[in-house]
Amino acid sequence: MLSFLLWLPVIGASIIGFMPGKAESGQLRQITTVFAVITFVWAIWLLTQFDITHAGWQFKEYLPWIKPIGLSYSLAVDGLSLPLLVLNALLTIIAIYSIGENIERPRLYYSLLLLINAGITGALVAQNLLLFVIFYEIELIPFYLMIAIWGGEKRNYAAIKFLLYTAVSGLLVLAAFLGIGFLNGVISFDYDTISTQGLSLTTQLVLLSVLLVGFGIKVPLVPLHTWLPDAYTEASPAVTILLGGILAKLGTYGLIRFGLQLFPEAWSVVAPGLAIIGTISVLYGALSAIAQKDIKRMVAYSSIGHMGYILVAVAAGTQLSILGAVAQMIGHGLILALLFHLVGIIERKVGTRDLDVLNGLMNPIRGLPLTSGLLIMAGMASAGIPGLVGFVAEFIIFQGSFSTFPIPTLLCIIASGLTAVYFIILLNRTCFGKLDNNLAYYPTVSRAESIPAFALTIIILFLGIQPNWLLRWTEPTTNQLALNSEHLALNNQMFNHQLSLLNVNIGSFY
Amino acid sequence: MLNEMTQTTIKSTKLPPSEHQYAEVIHRLEAGGSMLPDTPENLMQIIGIYKAYAVPMDFYWRDLLYIAERVFLEPLPFFKYFLPQSYLDLPNHYAGDDADLKIWRGRASAHPELLEFMNKGETRKMPKLLHHLWHDRINMEFAEACMRAMLWHGRDMGMGKFDAYLDTEEYRANADKAIKAYFKGNLVMLGLYKLFPDMFVEQVKQLSYYSNLGLFWEVMAPVFFEMSDIYDEGGFKGVPDAMDFLVNGIFAIAGRPIYHHVYIGDECLEIIPKSKGFTWLYEAALPYVEAVFYRTAPFRGTKSYNAQAQQVPSDQKDFHYGILYADVFPVGTAGIPPTLLMDDMYHFLPDYLQEYYQQHCRGEDDILIQLGITFQRSMYNVTSAVIQALRQALLYPLDDSNPEHLQKNRAFFEAQLDRFLRPEARLPNIQSSDYR
Repeated sequence: MLSFLLWLPVIGASIIGFMPGKAESGQLRQITTVFAVITFVWAIWLLTQFDITHAGWQFKEYLPWIKPIGLSYSLAVDGLSLPLLVLNALLTIIAIYSIGENIERPRLYYSLLLLINAGITGALVAQNLLLFVIFYEIELIPFYLMIAIWGGEKRNYAAIKFLLYTAVSGLLVLAAFLGIGFLNGVISFDYDTISTQGLSLTTQLVLLSVLLVGFGIKVPLVPLHTWLPDAYTEASPAVTILLGGILAKLGTYGLIRFGLQLFPEAWSVVAPGLAIIGTISVLYGALSAIAQKDIKRMVAYSSIGHMGYILVAVAAGTQLSILGAVAQMIGHGLILALLFHLVGIIERKVGTRDLDVLNGLMNPIRGLPLTSGLLIMAGMASAGIPGLVGFVAEFIIFQGSFSTFPIPTLLCIIASGLTAVYFIILLNRTCFGKLDNNLAYYPTVSRAESIPAFALTIIILFLGIQPNWLLRWTEPTTNQLALNSEHLALNNQMFNHQLSLLNVNIGSFY
Repeated sequence: MLNEMTQTTIKSTKLPPSEHQYAEVIHRLEAGGSMLPDTPENLMQIIGIYKAYAVPMDFYWRDLLYIAERVFLEPLPFFKYFLPQSYLDLPNHYAGDDADLKIWRGRASAHPELLEFMNKGETRKMPKLLHHLWHDRINMEFAEACMRAMLWHGRDMGMGKFDAYLDTEEYRANADKAIKAYFKGNLVMLGLYKLFPDMFVEQVKQLSYYSNLGLFWEVMAPVFFEMSDIYDEGGFKGVPDAMDFLVNGIFAIAGRPIYHHVYIGDECLEIIPKSKGFTWLYEAALPYVEAVFYRTAPFRGTKSYNAQAQQVPSDQKDFHYGILYADVFPVGTAGIPPTLLMDDMYHFLPDYLQEYYQQHCRGEDDILIQLGITFQRSMYNVTSAVIQALRQALLYPLDDSNPEHLQKNRAFFEAQLDRFLRPEARLPNIQSSDYR
């Protein structure tokens, strides 16, 4: 079942890429849509088949691959990865319609879009650490190409920077995984068999630090974030949606799956530091967003801030905070996709993203009233207004993290107020005011451009009103995950304590 | 027939080039042209919009006269926009076979397109009250806004004698007579009149402006209909031709009496008798252009003007919210509520103008703005006609051989165009066809 989800986009990409004859851009878009929709429907079907009472792995698939290096084709999902799979499938459809129909080199463009979907799906369902790294690295290539070919003015700079940063991220993750395997003396990298329990706390801390930097680049966390504003700003809206909506979530997914779960004891040691880094990211993202003049860059910096919440929540490691972290990953993915989609529409129609130029887009006749209305909705969702999915996620995070890290949580709450500040700046300057008579000859927003935004808005509203549909898939898994982490951390602490006592006793014996 | 009148000869100027910011426009005026560039596209637009304007105008003038003459001081005038058949049949003095001066060859009673719209509206045939409540009707509010602009600015425009007459004892006596006759037997209203006589007289003054504007537009509607018919027959060769038609029309009609009569039962009371000698050009046309095209008021639109922050001039003569300055977006503007007029004109656009708008900007979606900008162009042409008429009346012919005379003409044109030096003026915009 998972293989179908993984390989269908690859088949689609191959058909589009190698289809004989000359195909029109619109035709290729339709074919891509068919594959993306089938993938999405399949992901939804998996949701219906998923046993929400069971916290462990489901839909397992296993094939031995290269045994000597411990690589196997091992796939499975749990409550952590399944919602992200659905988000990935959904955002791929949104991304298809986030750029004008007439694009250059459409064959390559749509193939790469489907390959990105497959790469992220692969990373999310991989049960083998090396398989995860393969997919984690593979999806960089289509992303790099999409920024470099269809990006903005400084696309080459942004693409190279993105590639360098994220390639280093992949290498560090690989190094940490190899370290776990080799130091444990096992030849399998299957998730179920690998453990760090036999390693000393210092070794765990070293490996976890490498992993944290690796995933920290991907998230990205301050101060590893400098690739993000350039990549998000220069990439086309479709790529930005996938970058911010789902690729960045691979970083936080990795932190939970491989950081918190594999290094529970070391995690408890570094957690206060991570909470501080998360808080700094939140404050830095919000304050930087306030200072921006480019609305896309503003949204990009807002993303840094919102990803910081996830780190604080994961650092706290309580049942509620981890649940909130996953909710934030989904909620933020949806909201960010909506924001970038709308910013993309504004840029295409108005020809600028400059806050000093944009004005009065709410004008009902010559402005972009629908886009502006949805932008206000997206801004409200991002600012955590009740009734929208952003509120649900942030509220759970704050509630779950406060008992563990009260001061960072309080600072995050203050920063969420700053989110409202920069969105009010954005909305006030972009949507309100008076439309300039001399500039207002913008093309209309087509239905194909509006529908994705509507779809996202409806989901954001629905999950905000009925959060159970967001949390039900995840709750058993995150509960189990938090319990395991606490239990393992406690066991390891006891083991190390006994070990130190034994050393003392042995020392006294001699 | 006006189209048989002589047309102004277009000749190029013999003076050195003007150094005015709008030198190009001044040279065009000196050559007998209009402030609006002479292009087939401009001609098509302005004639089309004149026609679309004339149909609701045919309702405006009839209803303005109906309110001034019949509704008069009705304390609760709920039905003042419900024009009775007698006013729909009221023969226009400048159309039809029995016209005093036949400007338009069409019918003297209400225009067929107007009657059809009044019957069905945008929706469907239903009782008049439902059309009214659904706002599926001609927006008389626009006409009343124009009337009020004339009333507010009438005091200090320094032209004509009509407004000054409203302050005379003679006018007050006539108004008093009419008020008492109108409220005969109504002790409550007569009691109120006793208590607040100025309030009632002030209302009558406003009604005199209803009459003034109604009589002004009674002339303009057939002028615009005739221009549309001439254009349809291929009669106008360019924008200057259209402007000359207006100039000649202005002179032909200049002496039309402006008055205010009130009908109470079968009795006609003359509040402003025709014998006072108020004429169309000086007491209606010029005040109308000044009050409505240039000035109007910083109200009615959705844009907020803060008087305390000096955003509204303290002197009314410095107001500049008229159509010549207006930002014609239906929202975010001030002055005469353009949405209402655009909406009215939208119902009566000729097919060629409809097609034209469909091909530009957002087509049907922003057609109200497009036609509003066309209207602005057309009003620059009307203003050009007024400027040329004033020059013709007060100064010298354009082909005068005396350079001193030509210099005086130039000084006049430059003084007129100085009014468009302020940044809000749309004169530079209408020079380009990209301004839509």
